[in-house]
Amino acid sequence: MIPDRVAEVLSGPAIMLAGTRDAALRGAHTTVVGAIVHDDRRTVTFFVPESRAARLLSDLRDNGRVAFGFGSLSHEAYQLKGTYLSSRPTTDADLAQQEAYRTKLVAAFRQVYPEEIARPLALGYAYHPAVAVTFRVDEVFLQTPGPGAGTRMA
Amino acid sequence: MATLPEEIKAAMQGVIPSHVVTCARDGTPNATAISQVYWVDPEHVALSHQFFNKTVRNVRENPRALAWLINPQTFDAWDLEIEFDHAETSGPIFDALDMQIEAIASLVGLKGVFKLKSADIYRVISVTKNVAERIPLPDIVEPGGER
Repeated sequence: MIPDRVAEVLSGPAIMLAGTRDAALRGAHTTVVGAIVHDDRRTVTFFVPESRAARLLSDLRDNGRVAFGFGSLSHEAYQLKGTYLSSRPTTDADLAQQEAYRTKLVAAFRQVYPEEIARPLALGYAYHPAVAVTFRVDEVFLQTPGPGAGTRMA
Repeated sequence: MATLPEEIKAAMQGVIPSHVVTCARDGTPNATAISQVYWVDPEHVALSHQFFNKTVRNVRENPRALAWLINPQTFDAWDLEIEFDHAETSGPIFDALDMQIEAIASLVGLKGVFKLKSADIYRVISVTKNVAERIPLPDIVEPGGER
């Protein structure tokens, strides 16, 4: 379901965000700090800081709809749309995943930003304690800026 | 209707991309990064419309959207609830966006990819400065030693 290249970009370094909506179809944004594609290539778990998880979880429990966007610093970007499955507090293994994500991200940011932006942007964002959110991927879209953005890939 | 604080202007310079979440009429959310949210006046912002993408289609059937911005100096992040009002295809806001897009595209090696179709003007419904999102940097030890 999730193409190889999309899984590769998702493994980072990548900027990630989750979009949800409430019963009145009002959108909400949550910054994501790390994610993993499961072996079935149909489910993804992403990590959001507890401090920002309330609205996201409320929306997901209300209607289950999630949009998960991510892109590399070269502007190659994708979006997964799917259905909420579960959430739980992060484990030590998740935390290690998040630490690896942050390490990759700061290295990537240093290629495009001065240190005074790269470091706080990658490492200054709250990430623990966090919630692990798992969803089933129903659709995959190309999101790289250009006329092909929005093309459904799977 | 809300009023944008002056301090949010630093987050609208396009230094760090912003994010926008919209929702289709059928309830499907859409989450994407955009190069910049533009200050129009204290009650309005503009988003560029270069391609007839999902964000553009969504706000024409469900005008509510959420824009997330981050200040590249303080790293304060903001949530703006906004509502699509109208599109402008000429005039000073359109020209300013056109020039900005070309400048950003040149900087990131995408010159000529973006052709502005319209400056989409949104009313600002609410402004929230996010709290409890930042952690102190000195406590972080990176591989290879603390910086």
